[in-house]
Amino acid sequence: MSEALIVCENLTHIYDGEVVAVQDINLTIQKGELIGVIGQNGSGKTTLVKHFNGLLKPTKGKVFVNGNDTAGMRIQELAKSVGYVFQNPNHQLFAKTVREELEFGPTNLGVPEDEVKERVNKAFKFFNLEKYRESHPYRISFPLRKLVGMASIYTMRPDVFILDEPTTGQDHITTRIVYQLIERLRNEGATVICVAHDMILLAEVVERMIVMRDSQIIADTDPRTVFSDKDLMASTHLTPPQITELSYRMRDNKQIKNLALSINGLLEETSKNFNLKRSK
Amino acid sequence: MRGAVIPITMVPGDSPLHKIAPLPKLAWSFGVLIIAFMTRNPAILGTIILAGLLLTTIAQIWKPMLRVMIVLFPVFVISIFLQSIAPAFPKPWNPIVGFGPFTIYQEGIYSGITMFGRAFGMTLFAMVTIMTTHPSDLFASLEKIGMPYVLNFILTVTLQLIPILQREFGTVLSAQKSRGMKGTGFGAVLPSMVPVFVGAIERVQQLSISLESRAFGSTGNKTSYRNVVMRPSDYIILVSGLLATFATGYWILVDKSLDWSRSMTFSPTLSISLVVSAGLIFTSFVTIAIFKIIKT
Repeated sequence: MSEALIVCENLTHIYDGEVVAVQDINLTIQKGELIGVIGQNGSGKTTLVKHFNGLLKPTKGKVFVNGNDTAGMRIQELAKSVGYVFQNPNHQLFAKTVREELEFGPTNLGVPEDEVKERVNKAFKFFNLEKYRESHPYRISFPLRKLVGMASIYTMRPDVFILDEPTTGQDHITTRIVYQLIERLRNEGATVICVAHDMILLAEVVERMIVMRDSQIIADTDPRTVFSDKDLMASTHLTPPQITELSYRMRDNKQIKNLALSINGLLEETSKNFNLKRSK
Repeated sequence: MRGAVIPITMVPGDSPLHKIAPLPKLAWSFGVLIIAFMTRNPAILGTIILAGLLLTTIAQIWKPMLRVMIVLFPVFVISIFLQSIAPAFPKPWNPIVGFGPFTIYQEGIYSGITMFGRAFGMTLFAMVTIMTTHPSDLFASLEKIGMPYVLNFILTVTLQLIPILQREFGTVLSAQKSRGMKGTGFGAVLPSMVPVFVGAIERVQQLSISLESRAFGSTGNKTSYRNVVMRPSDYIILVSGLLATFATGYWILVDKSLDWSRSMTFSPTLSISLVVSAGLIFTSFVTIAIFKIIKT
């Protein structure tokens, strides 16, 4: 039985009374979903997700988080249930050590000291950052700093994680780590919303995709459907992962039956086809 | 953060004031500054304020001007309140009314009103100049009259950094609020200022590298993208500004009857209402500001 965690009703946001950033959005996000939000720059994705933790309040319409209207709530209250990981970790790191950075969030929420300790220890294990416990956040590499940013939200135990471009500026290894972390977060029961341009992340990790264009949601379905819709993809000026492009062509050449979103998926498809041929 | 940004920049427009070259406008602003500090005569200061308001109307910049004045006006007004109790004026002081330890003096009211007039008049002229002049034109003109290029450049870059840092501060503040930080008090300073400063230092380092890789600091003549042309009318305005400053300055020095500090008297009712309203405007401004900070 799924339950609605975030509900947007006719959400419209207009900046400075002039710039319409999102228009008439109706959206329901269930508990435990793994969602990707895509769209060109300026299509309204960040504006939309900033409503979920109260950084922005609707100009028109309503946003409910856990059944509460966000209009009357402060960001600090919403932080308990919605964690927002900013794109640039430098925008939030201020403490002398990584440990203090991770303690900041839960202490703000008034979590008792021993539980803070426990949460921080768990976060160090979860993100595999134990080596850097007492390091200065600005002395560690950028990809690791990004993980510290995520870990500092993880210690607040929100129901929803909003990740703004979690893989931008990451090398190959940390990108893979981020993918795994997102899946593990979900396995722990969290809802994860990724605003991203990273098509591989969206193809391999995410289960539901929200496509935005010109301040509106133009598609809200699974990644396979989104990636197979060539016109939809073209209209957002985004290109699917190369492996999907390859599988388009193989499908057109009748080498495989179904579209593949990942390397493993394509291998599976081709081997199916191979078996098919052999059995004939 | 959006609403808290004071728009001290150029307001694009097509008014006669926008068309005047920067130097004549600068000359008038400096002239007003000099005159405002030379005199305490309420009539002269009042004329400056009226002229400033007239120029604001001609330049069609009432809206941005009001946004600036909403912040500055209460600060100016407080001088009436403070001066009335402790005048910055040679003794003897003539008391008007007293409440317990506080006494309101004739000289205090006079001094307060003139200080208010000075600050308000000067700011009006300075704001009109800033709001009707493209910053690049301003700096190009300053360079023409001998301001060193590097100094000029430092000023321009600093001015450009202000809005960038304001935006950065906004982002940092939202990032910290998302982590449940209470947005007030001393506790909020460290978590917000460290990332802003680190970011600013990094940005400046990168800027200096990118400047040097584009031949900043090379010797020889430089060309300017924006060419400021002084038309005959600009020269007339410039010269008339200088003349007006000299003439008024001379008049103030020579004509001792312009000192109204002893002849002008304020009735107790007028003085009390002035002081009370000044105090009220200032305290309500501070209260509203504090509430706004707490709310965000």
